[in-house]
Amino acid sequence: MIYQGKQKIWADYQKEIPDNHWFYVRSCIRQNFFPASEKYFLAICRDQLGRDIYESEHHTTCAGIAYHCDTIPQETAMTVVARQFALMTEAGYENLVTSCITSFGNYTEILETWRQFPELEEKVREHLWKACRREFKKPKYVAHASDLMYKLRGEIAERAHFQLVHRATGEPLRIVEHIGCHYSKMFPHKGVGGAEYPCVLSGMAESWGGRVIDYPERRHCCGFGFRQYFVKANRGYSLSNTHKKFESMEPYRPDAIITNCPGCPYFLDRWQYVISEMEGKTYGQNGYGIPVLTYEELAGLVLGVDPWNLGLQVHQVAVEPLLDKIGIPYDPARKYLGMDEKKIMTPGLPTSLKCF
Amino acid sequence: MVNRNPVIAVIGAGIAGLEAARQLADLGYSPVLIEKEPAVGGHVAQWNRLFPDMTPAAEVIDALKKQTAKIRTLLGTEIASINRLKDGFSLVLTDGTSLLCQAVLFATGFQLFNAAKKEEYGYGIYDRVITNRDLEAWFNTRKDMRIKQPEAVGFVHCVGSRDLKAGNTQCSKVCCITAIKQAIEIKEEFPDAEVYCFYMDLRLFGKKYEDFYIKAQRDYGIHFIRGRVSEVGEAIDGRVVVKAEDTLNGKPVKVTLDLLVLMAGIVCNPDAQHYARQVGVSVDDDGFLKSRDNIAAITESSRPGVFFAGACTGAKTIPETLAEARSAALNIHHYFNKRK
Amino acid sequence: MGRYFDELSKDYRFKEGLKTCINCGTCTAICPAAEFYKYDPRKVVDTVQRKDDGEIEALLKSETIWYCGECMSCVTRCPRGNGPGLVIMALRNLSARLGYFTASEKGRQLWPLTKTLNNNILHTGYCIHPSTFDCDEYPESGPVTRWVMDNKEEVYGRLGANYEGKGPGVLRHIPQQDLDELQAIFDETGGTERMEAVERASREKAAELGMDFEEYTKYTYEHCSVGHFNDE
Repeated sequence: MIYQGKQKIWADYQKEIPDNHWFYVRSCIRQNFFPASEKYFLAICRDQLGRDIYESEHHTTCAGIAYHCDTIPQETAMTVVARQFALMTEAGYENLVTSCITSFGNYTEILETWRQFPELEEKVREHLWKACRREFKKPKYVAHASDLMYKLRGEIAERAHFQLVHRATGEPLRIVEHIGCHYSKMFPHKGVGGAEYPCVLSGMAESWGGRVIDYPERRHCCGFGFRQYFVKANRGYSLSNTHKKFESMEPYRPDAIITNCPGCPYFLDRWQYVISEMEGKTYGQNGYGIPVLTYEELAGLVLGVDPWNLGLQVHQVAVEPLLDKIGIPYDPARKYLGMDEKKIMTPGLPTSLKCF
Repeated sequence: MVNRNPVIAVIGAGIAGLEAARQLADLGYSPVLIEKEPAVGGHVAQWNRLFPDMTPAAEVIDALKKQTAKIRTLLGTEIASINRLKDGFSLVLTDGTSLLCQAVLFATGFQLFNAAKKEEYGYGIYDRVITNRDLEAWFNTRKDMRIKQPEAVGFVHCVGSRDLKAGNTQCSKVCCITAIKQAIEIKEEFPDAEVYCFYMDLRLFGKKYEDFYIKAQRDYGIHFIRGRVSEVGEAIDGRVVVKAEDTLNGKPVKVTLDLLVLMAGIVCNPDAQHYARQVGVSVDDDGFLKSRDNIAAITESSRPGVFFAGACTGAKTIPETLAEARSAALNIHHYFNKRK
Repeated sequence: MGRYFDELSKDYRFKEGLKTCINCGTCTAICPAAEFYKYDPRKVVDTVQRKDDGEIEALLKSETIWYCGECMSCVTRCPRGNGPGLVIMALRNLSARLGYFTASEKGRQLWPLTKTLNNNILHTGYCIHPSTFDCDEYPESGPVTRWVMDNKEEVYGRLGANYEGKGPGVLRHIPQQDLDELQAIFDETGGTERMEAVERASREKAAELGMDFEEYTKYTYEHCSVGHFNDE
């Protein structure tokens, strides 16, 4: 592989990402399944790096999941998004940053569609006014939170307590990066690095000491498929696609997978559990799986945040082997505590996948 | 005042420029060949064997060189600026000299599509991905680290052609026949290799081209898969993994190969577009220089004194290019006669 | 001739998604659904492009259009600038509007989907919410999710969420006035109308199949016949 070839391509897809003053909209899936991720994204950007990131308590889901499950018409989806723009305008912001990748794709698609068909934008403005007496200005920039963290990766590297390096051997960790489909597949120029070799995650991993692995199914969808997961009858599709990715990455012996979409880490994590239960097969070493992290969790780890405060205990695949590799200390006794150090019941363990 | 010995600036000394210059000299005029490379012959000089009769390219080039040996040729020279005058043109060249001429012939040819722009094919990223040009060069020199006893070779048709995202929606005309020619040549080199051609349509319009297809199937067992390659990846052993749909069977396929050859297409030379604008000649919406009429006057531009020959107006075969070169020379001859 | 095509042409996703298809198969080559399901996005686009009412009606009533995972991998690569995933969205929406979705097993799933997701949105302001997440319906979410859901306040609290709390924060309670605005948006833009149409068509189908509606909802959510996958 000729690394310089990729660098040339990245140069063609430089995206302008403003440095400060962002209006933040949350992710349904991330809040449910990776609750500390968003907290640490804000804590790192606001408290450690001094940026202004504002959240309105009145914002809602962008309804992107419903849009891609085809349960709402396009005009409904667009008007819900228009309302988010109205809240942004009201708060005095012109840069929008989304936590969810489907949201990012949704906002980008809607803005592009309005650019092509201004009559539709007019119609949506009317709808929003009639429905809730709100008006909006379109955002000047829309970015995904991983774009922001990519832009700030140097500042994070400066403050890092840990490197993505195998403590015992000094070798960089082998990182698989998985980019959510809705990040740049529809609009390659809206993603840092384009659609074929996006560098938003590899840039972070490399800045923090890791080595990124390319494997044949790198660009393949994790298989979420919206309705293909939500409806129980369809889940085989979702599992099959994730399985395909694991079979493809296995020979490269990755130490960790990092993702920017909120859904992908859920699938890449939980389907490993299911595959081990169904077939007894695991993809990590010694009966463990390959730990899957969000970019906020990765940033938090290198900055020295306690893994249990980062919420790594709510992953199914054990992260302890990775923490040991890096040399990040953790207290096993504190893993499953509740609020205020309260001892609560601990989760059951899978029968096949090794977990702590 | 009539110029007794009109000078014609022939921009480009590839086969179009050489043949036109030869014809113009035979008609008694003074062509001047201006060539940016250090040698004449253009793209064809880099090739090995030419369809349909597998003529060595060197034969064609050597013949043209012999016939144009006495014509004033400026090698390693480009045009710094070109301006229209009342009765002709003035060119300032990059060697500092200037040239006054009474007609200009664009023989600027084509540029091969930069295959690295089709990022999903991994040219310049994956080791075993090469282009049609790289392969033709290997047939000449036998020096390319990437070509090592391949057991499975693939040819990808339409790279940078018929492709909105690549910036060229036109067909490059000669890649299908070249792919089949090169596939046969690879099979002759490595008889035990499996060879695959991934195509959308097979455009074999020319004299005896279809015979290549028949031979490829009957005598060489080359596999033809009707499906455009969607993505190329690299396996852990460095082999390339290609994804396409076998549309005739309606099934996605994944093929692992030791070597992948991208048939890079034909796009307009950007220098030509630049000079053309300086003399008031427009660029057609396919990016090539615009002829006065695409049926009756391909070799004429819309401005007096400016003429075209060869691939500068669109993808061409070698016989078509040579024919246009002679035709352009005749147009120039009539142009001067009318002005007397 | 072309009545369905004209209807589809009104959908902006269709305007973006269908230019002219040359059947090159680039989309099918990397489609996750084509690999596993009896699905070929190229064939779908080719059929629609022919504008034949009979063929498009058959598509709208088929299993085929419900196999796509809307990953948009096809949009990246199509050399003619088409988007089969976008064409699929337009087909699905037309099928939903016309009630044709109940003719297929995968299509009938639109009812439990609509019910769950839209009610989550209108009642909580989230597409997914812990209060409506039933671990038994998602066994693959694993023992750790069951633990989280059984100990919501403790676990979310420990992780710094503002679970069901006032003001900003993770999993905050979204104020009723904001939920009212969402309802108004649904009413104004045809979202409510769509929910009613989907429910109505599904009730009719349940009656036709001789099922009680709750039974029908559960059945369509869980049942997968043999024959959808490529190796079946």
